[in-house]
Amino acid sequence: MAAPTLAERRPEIFLAVLLSLCLVALSLQVRRPGGRTVGEGWLLTAVSPFVDLVTSVRSGVHEIGTWAMSRRALRFENRALTAEVARLRGELLRLRDAEEDKGRLLELFGAQPSPPPGTIPARLIAVDSSGPFHTALLDRGASDGLQLDGVVLATGGLLGRVIALGPRTARVQLLSDKTAAVGVLLTHAARAGRAAVAKGDGMGSVSIEYVPTIEPVEPDDALVSSGTDGVYPGGLPVGRVASVRRNKTLFWEIQVSAAADPHRESLVFVLPPVRKSDVTSGPSVADRH
Amino acid sequence: MKPLRVAVGLSLAVLATLALGALHMPAPPDLFLLVVADMARGGAAVPAMLVGLPAGLLQDGLFGPGRLLGLHAFSKILIGYLLATVGARTVVEKPLAVGGLLAGAVLVEAATLTFLIWVLKGDFLPPAPWPLAARALATGVLGGLLYAASRVPWKQRRAARRRVRLS
Repeated sequence: MAAPTLAERRPEIFLAVLLSLCLVALSLQVRRPGGRTVGEGWLLTAVSPFVDLVTSVRSGVHEIGTWAMSRRALRFENRALTAEVARLRGELLRLRDAEEDKGRLLELFGAQPSPPPGTIPARLIAVDSSGPFHTALLDRGASDGLQLDGVVLATGGLLGRVIALGPRTARVQLLSDKTAAVGVLLTHAARAGRAAVAKGDGMGSVSIEYVPTIEPVEPDDALVSSGTDGVYPGGLPVGRVASVRRNKTLFWEIQVSAAADPHRESLVFVLPPVRKSDVTSGPSVADRH
Repeated sequence: MKPLRVAVGLSLAVLATLALGALHMPAPPDLFLLVVADMARGGAAVPAMLVGLPAGLLQDGLFGPGRLLGLHAFSKILIGYLLATVGARTVVEKPLAVGGLLAGAVLVEAATLTFLIWVLKGDFLPPAPWPLAARALATGVLGGLLYAASRVPWKQRRAARRRVRLS
């Protein structure tokens, strides 16, 4: 059975058209409680998706524009904030350094720092302890008033002496250097000081030689510079006895734990070199300072 | 001849409806429906619907509730289509069947009007059953009688009587 053609469907189409016209006419006459006709209601309902679409597109375009504008503003703000953060970070590092320096100064000189005359503060910018010769580099040199054989003092104690000078830098021989030596006094609370010589072993440690085994030496005995070597003033802390061992000779084998660790120090003070007239075995330069 | 017949039919329907209203008849027959049914008798749906439109509009203009012009037009167009479709697919010759069909059309129209008012105004106002049944019955009876009368060969009878009188 063939499907009816459009011409055969003519009555149904006509019926639909006429009924639709009647419905439209009726809907234009009926008023709902809000004062709106049913036709208006139907019309508004029918067009509401289009209204929603237009509203959505409009708000979307607006949001895209706003987003673009805000993105541009945010980019500028981000750049400014990044620069500000970098500046503040640098400022923070400077302040931390200053705080640490202040702490060291207080530790060195008490609550009211008053460094000895001729003392020059310097920064330890590099330490070379890879070979037998242990040296460090300072950021101050001859143009800053540093002199050869200037005594380098760190927070913990004696660090070394200036062995080479540049206009803006100085090289320091550390106590652990293979060729470094310092006259020391082995002191104990119950005994008088015993003079000895502390030498670097070139491997990062300091040892004391030629202390006879008849002398009582105990671990944790303090070592201070004796001031008799003509290089270092007396009374500066050098370290403490780390271990004492008897070897086959007549002398103790004494290992020293240095008072100042060059790898942990960043701020040092360079004292003027010891004048020959100051070389005594009596009162120390540090006491005078 | 058809438009004239429709015009006369509609005019008579208006007059008769007004007259019956003036007589306070409780359940008057739907005379406009009879005009539409007359047009749909041959199975022509489009002319039936075209007659249903003015018939319904007239009925709305005269008796339409709440100034809803088009309410009866809608139902009359639908009834015209349905009657024409029934007329085209079945053979309805007995006056009783015609009367039953018309009574059913009255019920369908009442249901359609109730549905339309409910959709448009939100009020579900079903017609009172007994007056509706009386109206359907009256319309069916009147329609059946008219159909039966229309099937009587009045011309042949008149000619036969004249021949008898002359002879």
